[in-house]
This record gives sequence, C-alpha cells and structure tokens, in this order.
Amino acid sequence: MFKYVKHSVEKIDGLALVTGEEHYTNDFSFRNMLYVSILHSTFPYAKIEDIDDSAARAMDGVVEVLSYKNVKKILYTTAGQGFPEPSPYDSVLFGDVMRFVGDNVCAVAAETKEIADAALAKVKVRYKQLKPVLDFEKAEGSSTVIHQDDGAFPKIPVFYDASKNIAAKVEAEVGNFDDAFAKSPKKIEHQFYVPYASHCALEPHAAVSYLDFRGRLVIISSTQVPFHVRRIVSVVAEIPVSKIRVIKPRIGGGFGGKQEVLLEPIVALVTWRTKRPAKLVYSRKEVFTSTRTRHQYRTTFKVGYNKDGAINALHLDALENSGGYGSHALTVLANAGSKTLPLLNKIQNLKFTGRGVYTNLPVGGAYRGYGATEAYFGYGQIVDMVCEDTGCDIVEYYKKWTIKSGETSPIFKALGEGKEGVAMIVTSTSLNECIHVGAKLSGWYEKRKLYGGDFNKGKRDKRGIGMVALMQGSAIPEIDMASAYMKMNDDGSFNLMVGATDLGTGSDTVLAQIASEVLDTPVEKFIVTSSDTDHTPFDTGAYASSTTYLSGHAVKKCAESIKNQILKVGADLLTVSIGEVEVEESRVVVRRKGKQDHHQEVSFAEICQSSLYQKNQFQIQATASHVSPKSPPPFAAHFIEIEVDTFTGIIKLLNYVATVDCGTPINPVLAEGQAEGAIVNGIAYALFEDYYFSPQGILLNDTFGKYGMLTAHDIPPITVKLVDSFEESGPFGAKSISEININGALPGIANAFFNATGKRLHRAPFMPEYVLSVINE
Amino acid sequence: MKISFTINSRKRDLELQPNETLLNVLRKNGLTEVKSGCEEGECGACLVLLDGKPVNSCQVLAMSVRSKKITTVKGIGTLHSPHIIQKAFAQGGADQCGFCSPGMVLAAYSLLQKNPNPTREEIAEGLDGNLCRCTGYVKIVEAVHEAASKLRNEKSQAE
Amino acid sequence: MLPNSIQWYFPTKVKEAAKLIHKDGIILHGGGTKILEPQPRSSVKGLVDISALGLNYIKVTGNIVHIGSGATFADVVAWSRDKKRLTVLSDSLSHAASTPLRNRITIGGSIKDFPMWSNLYAPLLALDAKIDIIGERSGIFSLEEYATSPLIKSKHLVREIRVVEKHDIRSGVKIFHVVRFEYPIFTIAAACTMDKNIVRDARIFVTGVKKKLVRLVTAEKVFRGHSISDELINSAANQVSLTFVPDYKFGAAYKEKVAKVYFKDLLREIKESIR
Repeated sequence: MFKYVKHSVEKIDGLALVTGEEHYTNDFSFRNMLYVSILHSTFPYAKIEDIDDSAARAMDGVVEVLSYKNVKKILYTTAGQGFPEPSPYDSVLFGDVMRFVGDNVCAVAAETKEIADAALAKVKVRYKQLKPVLDFEKAEGSSTVIHQDDGAFPKIPVFYDASKNIAAKVEAEVGNFDDAFAKSPKKIEHQFYVPYASHCALEPHAAVSYLDFRGRLVIISSTQVPFHVRRIVSVVAEIPVSKIRVIKPRIGGGFGGKQEVLLEPIVALVTWRTKRPAKLVYSRKEVFTSTRTRHQYRTTFKVGYNKDGAINALHLDALENSGGYGSHALTVLANAGSKTLPLLNKIQNLKFTGRGVYTNLPVGGAYRGYGATEAYFGYGQIVDMVCEDTGCDIVEYYKKWTIKSGETSPIFKALGEGKEGVAMIVTSTSLNECIHVGAKLSGWYEKRKLYGGDFNKGKRDKRGIGMVALMQGSAIPEIDMASAYMKMNDDGSFNLMVGATDLGTGSDTVLAQIASEVLDTPVEKFIVTSSDTDHTPFDTGAYASSTTYLSGHAVKKCAESIKNQILKVGADLLTVSIGEVEVEESRVVVRRKGKQDHHQEVSFAEICQSSLYQKNQFQIQATASHVSPKSPPPFAAHFIEIEVDTFTGIIKLLNYVATVDCGTPINPVLAEGQAEGAIVNGIAYALFEDYYFSPQGILLNDTFGKYGMLTAHDIPPITVKLVDSFEESGPFGAKSISEININGALPGIANAFFNATGKRLHRAPFMPEYVLSVINE
Repeated sequence: MKISFTINSRKRDLELQPNETLLNVLRKNGLTEVKSGCEEGECGACLVLLDGKPVNSCQVLAMSVRSKKITTVKGIGTLHSPHIIQKAFAQGGADQCGFCSPGMVLAAYSLLQKNPNPTREEIAEGLDGNLCRCTGYVKIVEAVHEAASKLRNEKSQAE
Repeated sequence: MLPNSIQWYFPTKVKEAAKLIHKDGIILHGGGTKILEPQPRSSVKGLVDISALGLNYIKVTGNIVHIGSGATFADVVAWSRDKKRLTVLSDSLSHAASTPLRNRITIGGSIKDFPMWSNLYAPLLALDAKIDIIGERSGIFSLEEYATSPLIKSKHLVREIRVVEKHDIRSGVKIFHVVRFEYPIFTIAAACTMDKNIVRDARIFVTGVKKKLVRLVTAEKVFRGHSISDELINSAANQVSLTFVPDYKFGAAYKEKVAKVYFKDLLREIKESIR
C-alpha cells in the first residue's frame, strides 16, 4: 500500500552518527571563546544578602561575572512552551533568593574552563538561610512561603496562589462523583507515590553563542524547542528576536529535559556583553540537580464499583511536587488526568483534583510520559484490584470498558492545557487487538493461571505476570503548530526545511519519508534541514508526542502543494491537461483511462530545469502549517512477567511484551526503538531510579553510578509488536509513539507482583528493602 | 608541552598539560567524535581503544599513555568507508541520538575482536560500560549480534 | 582535581619507584582511576607512573599464582576464565565497575586503596592471599594482616599478590548490588579446604560492613571438622552478626538480613559443589 512510508528506512544521519562525524553543541568551538561556569546555591532556601565578586574579577583570565547585581530581574518561565505559557512566571535569570540546592547564584565567564571554575570559589556570597520546605506533603499552606514578594504571577488566567505555595491547581468533574461513590456497593481507596527522576540524556545540557559577521547573536543549543529559546532569550536578555538565530545541531537525547530554557540566556548575555563567543556545558552533577526532573507525585484513587466490576465513580487526586519553580507544573498535572481518565470512558462519574506545590527541592519539568506515567501507577493497579475483587478477567475487562473508535470521553473537553480542553471523538484504535496479541505473545492465560495457583507455594522465588492498558496523546490540540517549507532543485531533489526538532528520535528521516510518499521519490532525494530559526519555518518543538503526527502533517501538506505545482508544469510540458497526469517514481506520467502511456512522461529533473530556466519561470516551492483540532491517543497493552526473591525483595523481570497502536508506523524500526527505549526507562523508574536527599535538601545520588542507570546487562527480553490502526487526521494514518510506553512498567510490574505474592506495591521505586517490607507485612 | 601519540594509525604530537585527561586532550585537538557524557567514568561516551583495549578516556591521564596507540571510532571506519559494525548499527536502528554510538561501536568492536561469536550475555558484558538512554539496548544488542555474524561470514569467505 | 603543575615520574625499576614514594606529595599512578575521582588534590606534587615496572604479570610457579600489582581487573578475569583457575576471582571481578574501567583498575591500586565497595578483597582474603610490598616496611605479609594493621596506611608500593592454589579448596563469592553498574553494597566470599567432604578449614570474609572488613570466625568454626549441611549452614548464619552502615538506598538492618541470606546461598553453593 505504501512505498516509502511504513518502511524501515535507515536514519538519514545514521552513518554520520555512528562514525562520529555529526556535531553536537559541545563539539562547536570558536576562536576567542569564553567558558562559562555557574555557581549554584548550596542551601535549599536562602536570601543572598550580598555577593562580592571582586576577588573573582581580579583573577587573570576572568572576563565577566553575572549575578542579580548586574542582570535585570525579568520574570519569566524556563518552560519551553507555546506563548503565553501555562507555567507561572516565577523565575529570573539571577535572583537574590535561592529556592533549591542547585539554584543559580552567578555565572563566571573566563578564558578557560579551569579559570572559570577556580573563580567560582573566589565569589563571596553572604546568605541568610531561611527555613526550607523539603516535604511536598507539607508544602501547601506552610508557614514557609517560597515565592514571596517576588511578583510571581500566572501568565494565563488560571488559579495560582503563591502565598499557599500552590503553583498550579486543576479540577474537573464529570457527573456526580460523591453521589455515585456513596451509592456504590463496593469501594476502594488507595494512595500511590512516585519519585523524582532524571532524564539522563547522555549528552549534558550545553549552549554555545557567538556574534555573526553583522553582529547578530547566534546560539547553538542542545534544545528541544529552538523557537521558544529564541523568544525567551529575547525577553530575558533584552535582545530583539530579529537579532537572534538559534541553531539546533544533533541532540544527544532530550526526553523532555531539554524542553527548558536554562543555559541559552546565560551564554547569550555573556556574548552580548563581551562580544565574544561563549560556551556553557553542564557537568553531569549539574544536570541532575540544576536542570529539570520528573515531578514527584502522590496520587489518591477513590473508586466505587458494582459486584460485576463496573466502575460507577472514580476520583483521582494528585499532589505534585513542583520544586522551587513552577515549570510545567500546571500542564503535567492536567495530563495526569487527561491522559488516563478517558481510557475507561464508560465511567459516568469522574473527578480529578490536583495541586502542584512549591518546595525547596529540585525543579520538575517535562519528562516523557508527562503526568500520565505518574498517574498510571495507581490507575493501572486500581483496574487490577477491581478485577481481582469482582472475579473479572482483566484482559476481557479492558477489552470491554476501554474507549472505542467512534466514542469520546467528556474528559477531553474538561481537562485542557491551562484552559478548557478540546472535545474529540476517537477515530482510530486497535487496542483490543493489542490486548489480544499481547496476551498471546506473553502466554498470559497459561501463566496467569499457573502463577495464581500452587506454582509459587513454598517457593522462595515467586513468579507473577501482570498487564496494563495505556493511552497517551499526539500533540496538544489547537495549541501546537508545526510548519514546513520545501523547494525543488534542478536534479529533481528537494530541500525540506522543518522547524521540527530531531532529538535523536529520527524525525528528520520520518518527515523525509512522508514527503517521499507524497512525491513518489526516494528518501535520499530530500535534503532535510531542521530547527534553525533563520532557515526553517516555525515549529513549537519536539514535545507532547507531536513531531510525526503534527510536523509530519505539515510536511505532507507542503509536499502535496509541491506535487500540484510539479503536475502543472509536467502537464504543460507534455501538453496534456492536469487531470491526465500523475506523479510516479520521480516523473510526471500521462495516464489515460487508467493506462499509462510510456511515451509521454517527463522527469522531475526536466520539470525543475524547465521551471527554473526555460518556460514560465518560477521556483517550485511551498510552505504549509498545521494545527490539529484533536490529539488522537496512541494505545498500548503491556504484559510483564517477573520473579521476586521473597528473601531479599529483589524483583527480576523475566519477560516484557508490549503491543502498541501508533496508527501507521511511518518507520517501524524507529517506532520500535521509541517503544523499547521508553520501556527500559519505565522499568528503571519503576525499580531503581529515585532522588535521595540529605536533611539539608542536597541531592546525594547525583552520578550515573549512584543513580543506578541500567546497562545492557539489566534488561529483560523485550518484545515490541506494532499493531496498526489508521488515524485519518494523521499523516498516512500516523499517531504518536514516543511517550506512551514509559507508562506500563510501574503498574504492570506491580500487578505482576500481586499475582506472585498477593500484595500491592504503593511506592516506587520498588527497591528490594521496600518490597521485602511489603512481602513481610 | 607536546606529547606524541599514535591516533588512528597516525603519529600526532598533541599539546597538553600534565594534569589533563586523555578525553580533554583529544577533544581539544579536534577529535570531537570522542564524546563527553559524565567525566566520571560511568557512561562510556568517551570510550576509546588504548592499545586495542577499551578505556574511558575521561579516566585516563594523557601523560600516562604517552606514545601509545589510541583508536577512536573514526579509526575503525568512516562515513565513506564504514565498518560492518557501524553499518549494522545504522541499519538496525541501534543509533538514536547517537551520542553513545562512538563509544558503543568501539566497545562492540573490541568485544568482537576477542570473541567473534558472543552470546547475548557476553555482548551485554562487553557493553556494560556504555550507557544508552534512547534505545533500551534492544537494537544495540541485535546490531552487535548481526555484525558478528556478518564479520564471521566475511572471514570464512576470505579463507 | 590535580594541579597543572604536577611532575610526572616514569621509573623503570621497582627500587627507583620505591624511593620516590618517600617524597612529599607524591602518589603512585597505576591505572589512574582513583586519582581521577572528583576530590581536591591540590597537595599532590607528583605522580609516579608505575606501568613500566614490569609488574603487570600473572604467572604461576609451582602451586603459587603471582598476580603483579600492575595487572588490571580485566587481566585477572581473562586469565582466570581462560585457565579456569581461581575462578572465584573472575566471578567477583567481572562484576566490578565496567569493561573499560576494568581495563584500567589495577590490582595494586585496589589493594592499597581498599574502597568500601571493593569486591577484590573478600575473595583474596578467603583464599588466604599474601602480599609482597616494598616501602616503609617491606616484605611478604598475609593480606589479612596487611588489611587490618597500620601496614596498609604506610608508604609503600605493592609488588604482587600471591595465592597458593590448592585443589582441595572450594570457594565462592556473592555480591549484592541492585543494578550491574552500581557499587557493590557488600561482598561475601568463602573458601573451604576440604578433606573429602569434611571441612578442614574455612575462611569467610565480608566487605562493605561498618568496619569495612569482617572475618566470620564463629561461622568458620561451625563448619570446621564437619561436612556442610543445611542445618549447619542455618546454625552458622544464626551466629553471624554483621554491622552495616545505613546509606540512602538501604538501611543497616536490611543489609544484614540480605547478607545472611547471601551467606546461606553461598555456603549452599559450596555444599553443592562438593557433591
């Protein structure tokens, strides 16, 4: 059916990546470049009474020191979101109040990195320590107010109450929860906790800046959001947008961690003031402490249901630890509801309440899964509990109760991103087939029965299998915008310029495949340029599972427009009417009554040569933009088999099967890779990853080794099976895949644990000490 | 001071300080294919071969490896003449962001030199110093497996 | 961070190197991994590279295995796997750090440094290894004496580790860590000298405990003169008392509990290997 789409084309940058040719931000250096180092707060909450940088400035090789003393305090949000941002304006580049250990005190720019680092030690800072809030459950209404008298405000009209440490609040109700809950014959209430996490992109955050020949500021940055970087730097550094160019080179992974504008304004200011190139690369420790994290969450589920398992009422209450600033606080919170509750859309009475609270701990932000991961831990277990209690087969339960094609959920409209959501009817889902295929591939029925029976009796190592069904979204409806520009060259090749930001996901390749399919021309004929604010059109950026679905659609529209122009020129050259020609293998051919006339054809190269040099001359070119009126959910079913050592509490994964509906996978191998990467990140988050703090709020495990990154050694057998559906609103039927699969491990492993032991896990990560305490409860 | 090394079979005199790591010296001298991911010996992005053995160049003081043979990922194959392992990585989707790839490819190369037919467990051990956050290692292990089989075929055909 | 003024020395003879260590601010450089750990090192004046001393050997004379201090963990693992000798060392060291680090970490450096997470010490102690040092005090000492006396703190250079290889020894090791790359929380190693199925001697060591290292003397006694049985293992485990330091990931009581489980697992494996 497809020729270029749904084919596992090799990544267009693949060989350049694996031979080390490609350049990442830190690989760019310029003559006369300054190196920037940041002094971070060592106190969780403190007022800076004075900074004396004279000794640092006196050092040989120190060129500039930036602090609140010489940088204007302009309130903004570091969140790289569309404008106006739904995150509160509660940050300044350099402030005199430090709100977490790792907050920025000042920046030193020097001739070498060594001098810059040495100069940090010479900066004398007089702090007045304040009483911090280090427990997010005690933040709301605490006598310690974290944003006090700093003018912090919400940019959009939403609830915000800094005086109570509330950075964000979301509430929505469908039907009447209280009433339905009260009337339900069966009720459960459970509370779940998930921890902080670091994205652990292998490339640390980095930014390099310089002035071009005409004095414009160029920023090379490891960012997911180059256009937001341009806009935000313009505001914070007070440099006109017209004077800023942002280039995204290759990016060494993002996962949401680089959807944040942190380093760019600092190098921008250094360069703008000194007229010299400047480079800032964070150390791994700085990435752990001073960039952004996954928010810590507490979720509380109250569920009322009937004896047959039908849920009448469900209330999800979420408490989110936003840390010192409110980056993404509101939207992650809203997504905790909007990406979970529509899944079981037949529940009539739904309530979502959530608060994001300020604490004096590291700052949350965007992280693959974006609230959904945090909420699925409980949501996926609640379904298992209801099934267990009512004797329902969970596989059949999901098949029956989940949202189907042609159906909707009132939650889509009730929960938006800082405003009302967008009503939407689901038009593509193969979830039931995903569940069916996954059950088969994982040996679900045999194993579930086996492990639930006598198999584990008297055994130290107990086995279990668990499953969970999932959904996510594809782009933010009526907010995210993507665009593409394309022009044709004389040999029949095309330049494809997109604002979309390839972070390593392979989106440059996927977008080229979409253009290939429209123009029936091989992928190598497309020269893709992505994310250079001078040369590519606007795109909100790589987040919210948007690139394939949204940017892909912009590319498709753009290629279709190019195709029309090619057909017109081709028909003209062949002296036939436009209705008689079509595009085939990089040619325009005449087709009459369904038959191709082989004598009448003209190649793309001939067409372009004619249009550029010979007849009715013009550049074949097009641009297109796309905004989606909906965010079609991808779906997935995960089946996880575990073995738990009941003497030590160590959980070992034996097998992981994931079946995924991402619509049409434009590039199946790349799509599988997205799923596999997300699954392993999900496993790591479920079992090992956490932030451990000292009583003074200092992060203790700020290295890969102490954090517990997984290696190839720690991975169970993983099977990913793509089960296609066709999404009409997506390019060639595509939806998203990047985020959804990180959501399965938490509930899936917990459900498998119940199958093995009859006990429930309420706290992640499932470190052996905690697991053992649950076993011995 | 200037110290000589043999880098990718070429003799080179590199300017360095006595306290500098091999990673810094290589990158400063334009060998940016050696990536810096943690500078703590934990991620493997800076992995190079030292006399054929994989080491984290951030954990090696450059002075301690004077006049030794250093191989970066460009030393086993280039864009225009890629090694079988590099092709297998690119074809098999073992490269996502690519930041771990130079180190990962070299670790695989070193493993397959010693052990042309490794089990999955042995591949995992050979790659235990290379972190990857993108792929979940699935396609990387597959690519090494694939490359091993192609290298064995190539060798048996040559014989 | 080392100062950029450091002086490098490249001796080619052990005696030259041994002289240099008496100088102020001088450290030995084996693989360099310890030196590069992030900590202030402004007092370091010089580094003595000991790679040219010819100490990176593993050789066998009679029934004695000599492991030169310059041999890396990778060298030892490869030798042990290849020759199928002292496999307790490859079982343990193949879990240490990672492939590229094992190519740099030397036996000498790890012996002298003895980090809390060492998984080199416990198996060597169980095997009753000897150590040959040269420095403030020179000579051949039992590794146990070396590790538990001021010797380890004296200024010296480790020449080699010696292990007498006996065919009547059954040994094993257990390492507790949750993910592969993590530092081991603790390591337990045991070596039983067997007289047919009777334990003539037993040496059982745990590292990672509060005192860094502990020998399970009472447990060893339980086995001596007996054949290993599940009852004996349980009774020995009951007499084991280990004091751990809690850290952010695990409490002390939990560590002790798991250590006892691993102790039993280890002895059971040894019991199985005798059959």
